[in-house]
Amino acid sequence: MKTFLSIAERHKAKLVAKGKSMVSEEIHLNHHLEERGIEAIETDLGEYILQLARETPSHLIIPAIHKNKSQIAALFEEDAGRPFEPETKVLAAYARQKLRNYFLEADIGLTGCNFGVAESGSITLVSNEGNGRMVSTLPKVHVVVMGMERLVPTFEDLEVVLNMLARSATGQKLTTYTSILTGPKQEGDLDGPEELHVIILDNGRSNQLGDPIFQEVLNCIRCAACLNVCPVYRHVGGHTYGTVYSGPIGAVLTPLLQQDMKEAGTLAYASSLCGACYEACPVKIPLHDMLVHLRHRKVKMKLTSLPERIAFKSYATMFGNITLYKLATRSAYYAQLPLVREGKIKSGPPPLSGWTQSRFMPMLPKRSFRDRWAELQQELAQRKTDGAAPNGTRKEEKR
Amino acid sequence: MTKPGTMMGKEAFMQNIARRLGRSEPLREAPARMLKGVPEFYRDRKLHGDELVEEFSRNWMALSGKVLLVSEAEAAVTIGAYAREICKEHGIERAARWDHPELNKLGLDETLAEDGIAVLPWRPDGAEIAGLADGGANPDSSGAAGNWARRSALLRAAETCRLGIVWPDVAIANTATLALFSHGGKGRSVSLLTDALLAVFRADQLVTRMGEAFERFKAAHPTLESMPSSLNLITGPSRSADIENDLTIGIHGPGKVYAVIIRP
Ligand code: SF4
Repeated sequence: MKTFLSIAERHKAKLVAKGKSMVSEEIHLNHHLEERGIEAIETDLGEYILQLARETPSHLIIPAIHKNKSQIAALFEEDAGRPFEPETKVLAAYARQKLRNYFLEADIGLTGCNFGVAESGSITLVSNEGNGRMVSTLPKVHVVVMGMERLVPTFEDLEVVLNMLARSATGQKLTTYTSILTGPKQEGDLDGPEELHVIILDNGRSNQLGDPIFQEVLNCIRCAACLNVCPVYRHVGGHTYGTVYSGPIGAVLTPLLQQDMKEAGTLAYASSLCGACYEACPVKIPLHDMLVHLRHRKVKMKLTSLPERIAFKSYATMFGNITLYKLATRSAYYAQLPLVREGKIKSGPPPLSGWTQSRFMPMLPKRSFRDRWAELQQELAQRKTDGAAPNGTRKEEKR
Repeated sequence: MTKPGTMMGKEAFMQNIARRLGRSEPLREAPARMLKGVPEFYRDRKLHGDELVEEFSRNWMALSGKVLLVSEAEAAVTIGAYAREICKEHGIERAARWDHPELNKLGLDETLAEDGIAVLPWRPDGAEIAGLADGGANPDSSGAAGNWARRSALLRAAETCRLGIVWPDVAIANTATLALFSHGGKGRSVSLLTDALLAVFRADQLVTRMGEAFERFKAAHPTLESMPSSLNLITGPSRSADIENDLTIGIHGPGKVYAVIIRP
């Protein structure tokens, strides 16, 4: 942040045109610039919409996915002081003209970096809109903020990740624009920035190095495939996570980067552990396993609530011992009796009351499945000798 | 030639990485690797001749691009007519083009001049040549920093051109991608600031996959110092799905893309 501000200061920058950069959100760059009276304009269409709305992204690739055309038209109307038809074409045309002006006038172009190439010191920017190219071509100064894990060794490896990113992110064969930038404008060049600065950001990343369980999270190429397939993300949306990175990768990355198991660690519970994220992930990060490990970490650090810890402790004791287990199932039958109406538990005491607010729970039977097992086995053997029951139905067992 | 840059904070940064990985000090050499680059089956898929032209064209058209195939003998005449047609269709009055020997040979400036279209060659005196030296004022630059008004006449003129004409160095068939090694007369802006893009190249510039384009890029610029500051890969028109996931074409860069492939 300091480095960036000193560059901005040296150039007396008033206007910064930003390409899409999640990393800059991580360090709340816009906020810091605003404090110093420097205007930072988001130039990715989705990010621009969000900036007008003063909101944060809800998706890695389509940041304003939660806004509809009418809402966007209203935002543009406020900005331009004239009404807009809620038509994609009309809205996009306004954004094109408006943002073009920022590209031309900006003192500094600021971007993230999709991949860095170690062998040549190149940085790679991809964008479908072309804003990444604009901000890295037109302003006289280009500053790149790169997460330290973005590096690939050679161009050969770049081919792999570029193809992978486009296919996993949007299903395209390749993103429309890929710029591989090696240094600033050279002698004889008639465009391009005069200065190029690369700021390599750690921000909690190196803490994952050498970690047998979590190091792999650094392989993430930020394609958002895991968000798109996640049943939890699809229901709650990106904002619910309350963090820069949402979805399964956000749930893993945030507590790790922030080294915060207490608050951010609760994200590890925003998952059904179905593993869809792992299946979709092009670099096969075992996100669902990591989520379990994070929960484990949280429990070990005694960050779960006391009643929860006691509950799970007793659960473990009971289920680990057959006599205790039998005793517990039997006593549960009697303990429930005062609550049962018409064979169902309609309103339980806390903590059960929350659950029974919107549904019933069937009463526990007097004899458990375990108790009936010997009998059932016998019945099955009997049926086999008799031939299958008609239509595959079975007799209703009398309780 | 680029001036060498500077680096701050390297020692502590590298030391930290080494420590995390259980090393007493940072590695001096890159660790050996088992795997590098794309898998074999992908690398071994090689298209030839017309297969390349077909695959590129199919993919380019799938991205809403248009393709024109011409023979070497008819190239100049046919491409000139094609460029005129494009300008007419979109009401284009100004075009920018790379200052590239192959494009210069096609004589597009003269052909387009017949329709009153000014062509801006990407060279220091380009704006004067095209008669656009004062034509680069950005009408919307009201109140902003005023940076744009101080930029080169060439750059400002290019921003008023609505067609960009380039000669890509390599074209990649399996993704329909143009690879532009931008430096000198092959300016970045020509393929970026306009509404429409016309790319002309020969069939023998086609390769199957991206890796081959990188190989050619490296072969053409064997030292780091000679590497152009910008290698641009362009795959179809500028697009966005940011409004309700609804596809819009031509959001910041060119929305109409034309490819002309010259065959022997
Ligand atoms: S974790 Fe995997 S699927 Fe999710 S964004 Fe990263 S690379 Fe994509």
